[in-house]
Amino acid sequence: MAKDKEELSAEEIAGIHEQRRVEQQQEADRRKRGKERMASVWSRRDFFGKLGWSGFGVVSLATLLAGMRSSFPRVLFKPDTTFRAGIPDDFGIGEVSEKFKKDFRVWIVRDETGFYALYAKCTHLGCTPRWLTAENKFKCPCHGSGFYRNGINFEGPAPRPLERVRITLTEEGELLVDVGVKYRSERGDWGKPGSYLTV
Amino acid sequence: MSKWEEIKKQIVESPVWQAIFRHGYDDTPRNRVLMVSGNVWLHLHPSKVRRHGVRLKFTWCMGGITFLMFLITVVTGVYLMFYYRPVAEYAYADMKYLEFDMPFGMLMRNMHRWAAHAMVIAVWLHMFRVFMTGSYKPPREFNWVVGVILLVLTLLLSFTGYLLPWDQLSIWAVTVGSNMARAMPVLGHEGPFAEFAGVNAVYDARALLFGGGEIGPHTLLRFYILHCIFFPLVTTLLLIVHFWRIRRDGLSGPAL
Amino acid sequence: MAESKQIKTLVDVGKAVPQVSDGGRVEKTLLRAKGPGDDKIHTWPHLVRAEFLCFLAVLAFMLVWSLLVDAPLEQPAAPTRTPNPSKAPWYFLGLQEILVFFDPWHAGVVLPSFIIVGLMVLPFIDINPKGNGYFCYADRKWEILTFFGGFHVLWIVLIVVGTFLRGPGWNWFWPWEVWDSHKVVAMSNVDLPYLFGFRDYTLSALFGLAVVAGYFVLGTALMYWLIVRAKGREFMERWGTARFGLTSFLFLNMIAVVIKLIMRMGFNIKYIMVTPWINI
Repeated sequence: MAKDKEELSAEEIAGIHEQRRVEQQQEADRRKRGKERMASVWSRRDFFGKLGWSGFGVVSLATLLAGMRSSFPRVLFKPDTTFRAGIPDDFGIGEVSEKFKKDFRVWIVRDETGFYALYAKCTHLGCTPRWLTAENKFKCPCHGSGFYRNGINFEGPAPRPLERVRITLTEEGELLVDVGVKYRSERGDWGKPGSYLTV
Repeated sequence: MSKWEEIKKQIVESPVWQAIFRHGYDDTPRNRVLMVSGNVWLHLHPSKVRRHGVRLKFTWCMGGITFLMFLITVVTGVYLMFYYRPVAEYAYADMKYLEFDMPFGMLMRNMHRWAAHAMVIAVWLHMFRVFMTGSYKPPREFNWVVGVILLVLTLLLSFTGYLLPWDQLSIWAVTVGSNMARAMPVLGHEGPFAEFAGVNAVYDARALLFGGGEIGPHTLLRFYILHCIFFPLVTTLLLIVHFWRIRRDGLSGPAL
Repeated sequence: MAESKQIKTLVDVGKAVPQVSDGGRVEKTLLRAKGPGDDKIHTWPHLVRAEFLCFLAVLAFMLVWSLLVDAPLEQPAAPTRTPNPSKAPWYFLGLQEILVFFDPWHAGVVLPSFIIVGLMVLPFIDINPKGNGYFCYADRKWEILTFFGGFHVLWIVLIVVGTFLRGPGWNWFWPWEVWDSHKVVAMSNVDLPYLFGFRDYTLSALFGLAVVAGYFVLGTALMYWLIVRAKGREFMERWGTARFGLTSFLFLNMIAVVIKLIMRMGFNIKYIMVTPWINI
């Protein structure tokens, strides 16, 4: 009498609930999978949309690169770096000549065996040092860097010696200086040809 | 959610994105309005326009194209300004330098010139369209007057720029174009009634234009300043008024 | 919190098609509004998208054109050597053309000022309420014809002539003719007073003045009569003297340019009025 056709036991009710839940979950999973599959399919609209926007992106990127490239001219106009400095006999042995310091920023130094040319740019921050004959040194007015007559730094904040520039002899016997070619002592350049002219 | 959706969600919900785009990314009517009213570049637009306002058949887009040409000339002009010197000795050589030694120089110079010509044509077509749709009728009369002034400014911008290459075409076109100024009544030294104002060859309307009696280096500098600074400034100020009046009176259209 | 992901197209007011999950707020708004603004659409995305596409298209065209066609650069400036012909920029060629027919101050100062001022006063002399905001020829026949005549016909034709049909010495050269800088054209121009038998200077000047004044007086009268005939006396009263006067003055000046062209090219008449100060 307690069990009717409509009345179900607690376990059966729970079972029906469970079954319904499982079915719903499976249905949801099926829908989700279908959606995921469709998500990777492109319509014509999607295709042309993506194509258009990537085209826009490519052109924008190209424009940006072109803009950066266009900041660098292909031809720069600079004056010639070589000049003739007279004949060796114009310079006395042991002399530090300032004849070409104003126009070309070089000292021409002659010692017993030959010539070398020092570039008048302080290796600290780029000021132009002075040659002090009485004190036998190059002294930079900006921060007090001091260099011996051979260019080696010995006082002040300068981290390395003065640079030498290329000095050669022409066929006519003239001194030829090229301030575009630099020689650094700390890199071992001072032994290379052009850094010293034996006369 | 697919991988792309996840990535997008992460970006859009990040604090950096939220700081820039405060109103969110979802496409709702509220966000559509905010995209316009809350955006510094776009907020000159109204948040809603009448349907015909987007129709090419109605607007011809000529006002927009004129403005676009103005922007193109400004951008290319800034590029050209890096390598052009308004000095008679250097001007022509700098033109050659720009065209052949600068990467993309030829392209920039060409775009500048063609955009300038296109701007003159576009502003005429814009005037034509505004006339044909009667968009100068009340309450838009003042905006039409501002537009005519902008038309004159466009021609003046083009005219002053014409001199800058400093080639034969430049100086003679400007000579012809400004010779008429010396024949002005009273203000021109070869015009009628010149004696009454005491004008002479170095002190008349044409000399004002040239910065002297004849076209020379002083003219080049004067035209350069007019072309790059003065006229663009005045044009910008009037464009501000022009665009604001369109907002105030609304885009013209047939009565509902 | 609505989260529809698709961009909606124009929602038809008549048919409420729910495509957004915002509770149907958009349709309700559109359906409710029955006054002006009914036909409005969002600036974002519709107008901004249209502007963006236009910007891309025009920029692409300008890029391609600039890559294919080079801007001109002729020889360096030589102040002592004038090229033949010496042409103003193309947008000023219209003015350079009328320089042939008028005094320099008239062609270069007076007429351009009339053009600019005439354009500016256009909204104030046009009292036709029709045609405001839409294209229509029938509603504004005379306004459109005048504008067309002045701008497209006169101005554009003069520019075309100046660009293609004027050669060395500003002589007339057909497109198939070779430009000859030594072409000799017999210019046997004669002034109008001379043509009418006047030989005395002062009398000629007075005659010329009478002709010019007479032209404007008769022209104004003719215009008055024609307008009253076409639109009625009531319209003329509404239009007012100031507007009518301004319109007829500007219009007659424009027609005078055409008449002067015909007189010079057809009958070799140079000036109508010759005075020490002003020639017309």
